[in-house]
Formats: sequence, C-alpha cells, structure tokens
Amino acid sequence: MLSKSAAAHIISTGSGGFGSGFAHPLTGPDHFLAMFAVGLWGAQIGGRTVWTLPVTFPLIMVVGGAMGILGVPLPGTEIGIALSILALGLAITFAWHPAEWMALGLIAVFAICHGYAHGAELPLAADPADYVIGFVGATGLIHLFGIGVGLAVGKPFGGRLARGLGALIGIGGIYFLVPALSVL
Amino acid sequence: MLAAAGKWSGPALSAVGLLAAAVIALLPTEGRSTVAWWILSSALVPERMLPLAGVGIALALVRLRYCLAALGLFGGGMAIGFIAHDRLLSALEDIPQATSHQFLIGPISSVTIGLALVLPGVRLRSWLLLFAAAVSGSLWAVAIEVTDPEVDDLAIPVAGVVVGIWIVLAVSLTARAFQRGWFSIPARIFGSWLIAIGILYGAASLVPKHQSLFSSPAASIPNYVQAPGLDRLPFDDSVPESRRRKTNNGIPDEFQQP
Repeated sequence: MLSKSAAAHIISTGSGGFGSGFAHPLTGPDHFLAMFAVGLWGAQIGGRTVWTLPVTFPLIMVVGGAMGILGVPLPGTEIGIALSILALGLAITFAWHPAEWMALGLIAVFAICHGYAHGAELPLAADPADYVIGFVGATGLIHLFGIGVGLAVGKPFGGRLARGLGALIGIGGIYFLVPALSVL
Repeated sequence: MLAAAGKWSGPALSAVGLLAAAVIALLPTEGRSTVAWWILSSALVPERMLPLAGVGIALALVRLRYCLAALGLFGGGMAIGFIAHDRLLSALEDIPQATSHQFLIGPISSVTIGLALVLPGVRLRSWLLLFAAAVSGSLWAVAIEVTDPEVDDLAIPVAGVVVGIWIVLAVSLTARAFQRGWFSIPARIFGSWLIAIGILYGAASLVPKHQSLFSSPAASIPNYVQAPGLDRLPFDDSVPESRRRKTNNGIPDEFQQP
C-alpha cells in the first residue's frame, strides 16, 4: 500500500535528451541485436561491405525516421524489426555472401523499419537535437562493436564463432517475431 | 624534432582546450561570467560541436593545399556570417518555427559536412569540403550571433571564434598526425551519422510536438454515475425533505450526465 514515487516528467510517453536517445538502442534488445548483426554481417562478408553497410543503414534510416516523424502510417513495423533480426541472424549463420547491392537493399528495408520506430518517438522528445544525436551515436557505436566482434571472431575456428553468434541472433529474432505476429 | 612537435601539436591543442573547458565547468555557478556560461551552454554542445568536428576530420582526409584553402574558407565564412547574419537569418525566417530550432543552423551544417565525408572520391570530397567549410563557418558565426545574450560586447563573438577554430584545428591536426589507410572508413561512418542527425533533427524540429502537455479535462473527470458504491452512501436524515436536492445514485440531478 505504498504510494508511487513522484515523477519529474508529466509527459509519460515522451523522451528526454541525449541520455534517453543514447540509451534507446542500447536498452532495446531488438534494436541492439539488429544493429550488432549489421556490423557483424558486414565484417563477415568483408571488403567494402565492412563500411558500406554501417554507412548505408543510418542514411536509409533517415527515410523511415522522417515517415515516423510525419506520422505516415507504416503497418507491420514491429514485424519488420523482428524479421530483420531473424534474417540477419540467418545470413550470418549460413555465412551468406550476396552481391553488395543485394546486401545493401536488404539493409535498406530493415533500416526503414528501425528508423520509423525511432522517428515516431522524436516529436515527443524534450530536446530533439540531443535525442537524435544520442540514438544515432549509439546506433553507430553498436555497428562498430559488431564490426569489431566480427573481425575478431571471423577467422578463428573457421568462422564458426561468428556463425554461432548469428544463430543466437536468429533465435532472438524468433523471440521477437512470435509476439509481433500474435497481435495480427 | 620539428616533425615530432608537428605530430603532437594536435593532441596538445586538444588537451589545452579540454583543460580550459574543464576549468570553466568546475567554476561555481555564481562565479561564472557570461562568456563562461555561453561557452558551456551554447558553444560546447553536441549540436554545434559535431559539424565542426566533421570539418576537422574532413580536413585531415584531403591534400594540404585543399586543407589550407578550406581553412581559409572557414574563416572567410565566419567573417561573412558576422557581417551578413541579418540577411542570412531573414532568408531563413520563413522556415516553420524558425526561432525554436535556431533557423536550422545545426541540421544544415551537419548535412553539408556529412556529405563531404560520405561521398566517395578524393577529388569530389576535396571540392565539396571547400563549400562545406564556407557554409559551416558562416553558420557557426550566425549561431554565435543568435545565442549571444549581450549587445555591443565583443567578448562572446571573440570566444566563439576561438572555440570554433580550436575544435576544427584540434580534430584536424590530431587526425592528420595519426592518419592511417583505414581512416576514411570511420570518417565515412561519422559522415553518415552527421547526415542522419541533421535530417532527423531538422524534420523533428519542423513537425510540432503532437502530444499536449496535459490530458484533456474530459478524460480526467471520473464517471460518477458508474462509480461503484455511490448508491450506498449514508442518507442524511437531518436534512428536511423539502431542502433535499433531487439525486440519482447520490449525484444531484443537475450534475447527472445526459
């Protein structure tokens, strides 16, 4: 029967500034897994893809973000995010090395879903500039973390470590996909 | 000896500036001058620092002659920004909610310098950097003018110029001294962040917040008619029948919902 603690923010669904923007991709396991997988997959494919995937992702994420900000309806966003984790996990597990344009196209579709989810929250942010800087920075750092891990575990044991991580990411994708599909 | 001094000039410049910023930040709030307050609250904020850091990184990626030319254009841009900031602001005043996001200075700077970092090809990047440096310099000067609380006091513009040049030079000299072949990869990734930050921040600034601060009064009024237990309130027998208000489930008739 204890009373609830007082909340400083009276807008319950809004976001703050840099801190909440930075924490958003880090504390959301769905976003974290997808961003990590982008870096890991880029490192696994190798060559130019190491940097073209993490560069393309935020650039296309902007499109989805703008759609979310403008309130353009995009049904199935959560399914898209879950599918992105599953697909990237499978791509890493089976060490799929597609042509660069195909990998970029796949990443672009997923980036729109992730950007839309971020963009929908942006107009509610107390400080949009700091919130954007926080979440784009955190997204990029997770990409770099994924690239680093991918480069470190790509060679030993014939790349099995990276493929194992991909399998775990894929299982994470199923975990998020089931509830997303159940609301249909 | 000279080469070593040149190599470490960037980190030394960074360290001196960071130390100065730390000293200002550690000053007691009541002891801070207006300039110190402005540096902390308006100059050393991510929105303003990131595009300038981007200019510094781009300067490290091009040949020395383009680097010097871009530095000159950055300075020239600042001069134009100070001289013609009224004209620049009047050109930007038609942007919706212009004053709330300070005329989109941050987003425009971020996107311009982000493009110079992301685009492939050394020649293309070099030419675009010249343009981006001039734009960033002029918008930095406009940002100084817009955020300057003083009138006819040169202290803040001078501090702004020093801070701007310090960020660009410290990042550029440090990056140039320790540049490796792979340096263009994180630079491109950083450029893509700048573009994303600029466009998303700009779009979020142009769209009004679509949530009101308080919930609507209608939503906060409880529905008394359906509230449980009201029909079991004790009846006050001390009030004469003639003076009792007509009620339904304990609610006076005039307050009944239709």
